[in-house]
Amino acid sequence: MKQETKTCKITGSLIGPQPEIDKLIASGKQDLVIDFSECVFISVPGLEWLTDMLSKAGAAGIKVNYVAIPPTLYKVFKVARISNILDACGSPIAPASGQVC
Amino acid sequence: MVASAVERDLALIEEAEALAKKARLAAAIFSQYTQEKVDAIVKAMTSAAIEASQELAIAANQETRMGLVEDKTLKNLVASEFQYHQIRNKKTVGIIKEFPQENMVEVAEPIGVILALAPVTNPTSTVIFKSIACAKTRNSVIFSPHLMAANSSNQAAKILYEAALAAGAPRDFITWVEKSPRLRQVTECLMIHSQVDLIFATGGTQMVKAAYSSGKPALGVGSGNTPVYVHRSAHIAQTATDIIVSKTFDNGTECPSEQTLIVDAPIAEQLLTEFRRLGCYVCTPEEVEKVSSVVIDSRTGGMDYKFVGQPAKLIADKAGIDVPADCKIILCPMLGELRQHKLVVEKLMPVLGYVIAESVDEGINKTLDINYAGGTGHTAGIFADDEDVIEKFSDAVNAGRIIVNCPTSIGGLGGVYNNLPTTLVFGCGTGGGNITTDNVNFKNLLNYKRVPRRSNYVMGFHTTKDIYINPGSIDHLRGLKTQTAFIVCSKSATRRGHLSMIRERLPAETHVEVFSDIGVEPDFATINRAIKIMRQSKPDTIIALGGGSVLDAAKIMRLFYEHPELKLSELSVTFLDFRHRLAVFPEKSNVQLVAIPTTSGTGAEVTPFAVVSVSDEDIKNGKQSNGSNGNGNHHSTKRKLSLIDECLLPDIAIIDANLTVSLPAEITVDTAFDALTHALESLVSCYASDYTDGLALEAMRLIFEALPCVLENPTNTLWRHKLHNAACLAGMAIGNASVGINHALAHSLGSVFEIPHGRANSALLLSTIAHNSKIPRKFTVVSTYPLWIADEKYARAAQFLNLPIAKEQGADLNSREGRKQASILALKRAVFDLMETCKQAKSISELGISEEAFRKALPELTTLAFHDLSLRTNPSMPLQEEVVQVFLDAYPPRRRA
Repeated sequence: MKQETKTCKITGSLIGPQPEIDKLIASGKQDLVIDFSECVFISVPGLEWLTDMLSKAGAAGIKVNYVAIPPTLYKVFKVARISNILDACGSPIAPASGQVC
Repeated sequence: MVASAVERDLALIEEAEALAKKARLAAAIFSQYTQEKVDAIVKAMTSAAIEASQELAIAANQETRMGLVEDKTLKNLVASEFQYHQIRNKKTVGIIKEFPQENMVEVAEPIGVILALAPVTNPTSTVIFKSIACAKTRNSVIFSPHLMAANSSNQAAKILYEAALAAGAPRDFITWVEKSPRLRQVTECLMIHSQVDLIFATGGTQMVKAAYSSGKPALGVGSGNTPVYVHRSAHIAQTATDIIVSKTFDNGTECPSEQTLIVDAPIAEQLLTEFRRLGCYVCTPEEVEKVSSVVIDSRTGGMDYKFVGQPAKLIADKAGIDVPADCKIILCPMLGELRQHKLVVEKLMPVLGYVIAESVDEGINKTLDINYAGGTGHTAGIFADDEDVIEKFSDAVNAGRIIVNCPTSIGGLGGVYNNLPTTLVFGCGTGGGNITTDNVNFKNLLNYKRVPRRSNYVMGFHTTKDIYINPGSIDHLRGLKTQTAFIVCSKSATRRGHLSMIRERLPAETHVEVFSDIGVEPDFATINRAIKIMRQSKPDTIIALGGGSVLDAAKIMRLFYEHPELKLSELSVTFLDFRHRLAVFPEKSNVQLVAIPTTSGTGAEVTPFAVVSVSDEDIKNGKQSNGSNGNGNHHSTKRKLSLIDECLLPDIAIIDANLTVSLPAEITVDTAFDALTHALESLVSCYASDYTDGLALEAMRLIFEALPCVLENPTNTLWRHKLHNAACLAGMAIGNASVGINHALAHSLGSVFEIPHGRANSALLLSTIAHNSKIPRKFTVVSTYPLWIADEKYARAAQFLNLPIAKEQGADLNSREGRKQASILALKRAVFDLMETCKQAKSISELGISEEAFRKALPELTTLAFHDLSLRTNPSMPLQEEVVQVFLDAYPPRRRA
């Protein structure tokens, strides 16, 4: 049976995999909330880990939410256009194109 | 095993997909980088490029067999060293430019993923240039090299990427399509890939065309065909040297390089001699044929690509012409019809055509022949010391860069011979099918976010400089500095004795001319008649003596007397912002205007406004005309025009109440209600200020106090004085804040039914207060009016007037809103009561207009009102249906609210 949701905080620069979070996902026991409030930079490997981690969590039936994302990092997610990351942020789906003016 | 077509297609898509995905992630990561970090990366890349410049030049030369190693090295240095020199201190992150005067900043936004094509002619320098430009702008770039130069191009990309990565750049921010037979197809996949944001195209016509056809934004280039005009004022030896430097640069592969010279006849022989002396070969007509048949592809009519970047000796050998081994350029006289000549096209090799021109005009026309033979928008050159010739040439020729007294190839690259931005991408504008004529550089690789702050309009306060305000102040005229005075008045000025009062006070030696034909509504023809008389007497002073019509007419007389070139149609435009102008109004006047009002209403003596009745003919003629009969009775073809400018302000105003004591009661009331309307409308105007508010409130107070007393005792100078001052104060208020919907509707009503202006204002005043004291359906679009405060201001007026605030049923006087509404009600009642006391019309029906006539005229009334300038300064933006409603509300007889 799944335990209560666990919150994990990413601090400083996210430049690659976070073994503790990977372990939690591998254990499959808890949904996760990833708090970015103290994250200041993400590298390409960091971004790749974020999307891979979401894929693994999805496969394991674990729900992961990204919260407290500073605008600089949220912009990274927006520009990267990676759907599972945007889902984890609760980002709205891009609307259909409207009037061009 | 041979792969199937489907498998090949899938592999192509996968390769493109992988490149695009990597570039997308890198672009996202790059968005976090600071300027310092970016500049460190750019510095590292530049250093690596300089270090590898020769190695890459050799690689390019060996792979393409084009050009010269030495020149390719130089190009690599231009792309790195010279570009860096220009961009090192430029901002590309955050706020990159400030516009303090416009109260605006520009903030940089990277483009994202750029697909960059690299040409065979400059395979390494283009990659260096674009890589550094992309790093500087935090974009990721995927290079698609030319198949014949892919190894050297990709080698350049790799060297710069590794240097950037070591300096902290995002992984994969530079990637490239590997050399393979499917390179072209992968590029085509990328051109339409959703992850690619921009195509930065340089290369063959087909690839550039494909980029433009992809549906993506594209920065492309056009074909070149550089004409260079050598004028007789040029320094011949330097010209020859510069042209040789340029045309031999990388064996002519640079597209801005000289293609055809247009040589001024008097210096032609001297220039050719210099070319020969410096090692060029000048062909005979027969040899030109031979060269043409070699370097021009007979199937296409364009240059034969086999000879691009090949040395002159090799080409001459192919053509069967004997030239020295170190021949620099083959010069070909282009005889006969220039536009039909085989060599009129671009020749990226050391073959240079030339023609002789007998004059500057012929030289520029021949330049245009070359310019429009496939190189429009690209590059042109001129050698001349005559600035007029250079200007004429630059005006005529369509080229994004017109290089003066420099080699066009290296000059076009920028940074070496001139201060053009360094580039290897030559924007050709629409002439070459491009969006820009720039020397495309890092600035073209940014999105510019403009962040304008709310405009801080300079609010001023202008009025007549000298105002004399007490009864008897016409005595000021005794010291007036004038030799010839032109008095403008109406017939009544004589009847009421005003004219003689003025004449008596003017200095004895003053020559005085009188024009007393101003009617109730002066027309432009009358004004023109007056101006004709002024031209005879040449006054240095105009004295306007009368009501608003006289004062307005005098303002316009002065304007057109001094500036007959002005056009009525340009002076009177109903702008949204009443401070805007179409015509240039004069700033200074040499004729002084003295305004002496004899009614207490318009305040025209202190306003920058003038209203004139004009015919369509007046507008069509535009300027001051000879006029016609001047009686202004053609009502059906006349309309009123409002002129606004500070230059219309009189220089002196004399507010002498002695001149108003003989004013009939009816006119006293009409004009006083005009002044009251001015005060109420300027108070709530969207251009009101603390300065105009004070004037408006005091004007109201004086009117409420003085008008009943004046009616009771018309000859009492004190109350006349107060009323006269009130009109002047209200005039100053509208002179700076303008009026509103009441005036728009009153102008319309007065025009259609010939109602005196003040009375028309009265009939609408209570409806206007009711309309403007409600939260509007549409707020006005004026930046100086950020808050809806018209209702508050009406309430403030009631408080200032110390009106009794009654507690109506259900009203909560303890609440701010309750007190406000009660105050507005008190104001309405006070206005109603004043009208009642003065027996003034409170509604349109009281003006003697039948309901049938009113309803019939309603569409015309509405249209006229809607186009009235006064409506623009109303605190709300009335909808057409609201204008109709205000009219309808103003029709029935009123009861006290």
